[in-house]
Amino acid sequence: MAELKELTLAQRFSMIALNAQRSNMMTTVKKISLRTIAAAVILEVYLEDGLTAGAKGHIEGAVVPGKEISTGDLAYRELILKAVGSKARDRQPKLPWWLKKASSLPKRTLARFELVMAKGLADLGRMEEIPNLLGCDMFYESAGVSIKEYRCPIDEYTRITEGFRAEILEEGPVSDDAVCLLWLLRESGCLPDLFSRNELDLVATRIGELDTSHSLAHMIFPIQIYRGWEIAVKDALRIKRSFIRSTVGTGMLFLFPLLDRSQAVFIETEAWFSNSKQRLEAVKNRLEAQGHVFTVLKEGEIPTIKIDNLVYEVVPHYVTVRVPIQGVRLLPKRPI
Amino acid sequence: MSRQRSMEAIEASEFVTIGELARLTATRYSTLKFYTEEGMLPFEQAEENLTRRYRRVETVERILRIKQLRSEGMSVPEIKAKLMEES
Repeated sequence: MAELKELTLAQRFSMIALNAQRSNMMTTVKKISLRTIAAAVILEVYLEDGLTAGAKGHIEGAVVPGKEISTGDLAYRELILKAVGSKARDRQPKLPWWLKKASSLPKRTLARFELVMAKGLADLGRMEEIPNLLGCDMFYESAGVSIKEYRCPIDEYTRITEGFRAEILEEGPVSDDAVCLLWLLRESGCLPDLFSRNELDLVATRIGELDTSHSLAHMIFPIQIYRGWEIAVKDALRIKRSFIRSTVGTGMLFLFPLLDRSQAVFIETEAWFSNSKQRLEAVKNRLEAQGHVFTVLKEGEIPTIKIDNLVYEVVPHYVTVRVPIQGVRLLPKRPI
Repeated sequence: MSRQRSMEAIEASEFVTIGELARLTATRYSTLKFYTEEGMLPFEQAEENLTRRYRRVETVERILRIKQLRSEGMSVPEIKAKLMEES
């Protein structure tokens, strides 16, 4: 079994929130994730009994003496605590105040924070930058447009997400780490990425139970950490994505790929292969040339494949430019 | 405050939860739950509604064995029968 190093709460959450996000663009979705990661830093310090504002807003005891942290690099923590601590001055504000301040940092600070956090995780071998799947699309590839995204190691991502899912969905006590992660995922809008529709109902019940029985949950669950217009944008994108994943939506995406460009990746093939294996080979070559990890889950006329951490269907299709170009379209697999 | 157990603590303990098994073996929670319901992963439960506890060493070995058999192309019923034979 591979050697497992302990990650902090903020690092674990960053791996979930930044996975498959564009690394060289500040999208609204990424900005929401970064605001929530900044709040995760505050929770991480809080859980280590370190939230005390001393003179000049310096936060004392951020690292518990004698506690070994094998992460090596906690520069991200310093950055957030410095930015938020300067606003605390000599006051002794409560946790919600710290969370609010951390999650409303300016865009420039968030961009710096992202660089520090991503570099820290990359140094630990827990995050890498790869070309975005859309970069494999015929139009983007031939135009030489470079889009990059973050990717976490698949095993490590599975360990974090599945350990958390089990803790929430199983009967029994829930740790403070899981309560924090649950709130962070809810606020960043990542819950539907980890839980199916049926499971989300159970999660909602669990949130209600924890709110009444768990003191930390009772304190943080009522807090909403992002701004109104960002909620609106994120909700609109979520509605669009769930429509695209429906049967009708998928059909519409074939006709109008611009509806959700990042979910309608077209890969051209040299010839109209009658054999699905040859088509799949052409897709494999393109994806691997762009640095993606590729696994075939189900073969057949419309194969199901796993690219990095996500599952897609490979559907034969053609586009007409001056002449018809044959190839395949990658469609995100609809939840069963 | 109750904190999540570190990997060091998990690897030193006799019993683990299903979530800790997922962390130890990088296996999906739903997969582990399915194997448990199929009787392929024995567990202990003191009373009803208490957390299921698995013997760490034996269960991790069992999961790795199941993964190996799956990679050899065996179906779940076949694996189940084979595990019954072996135990």
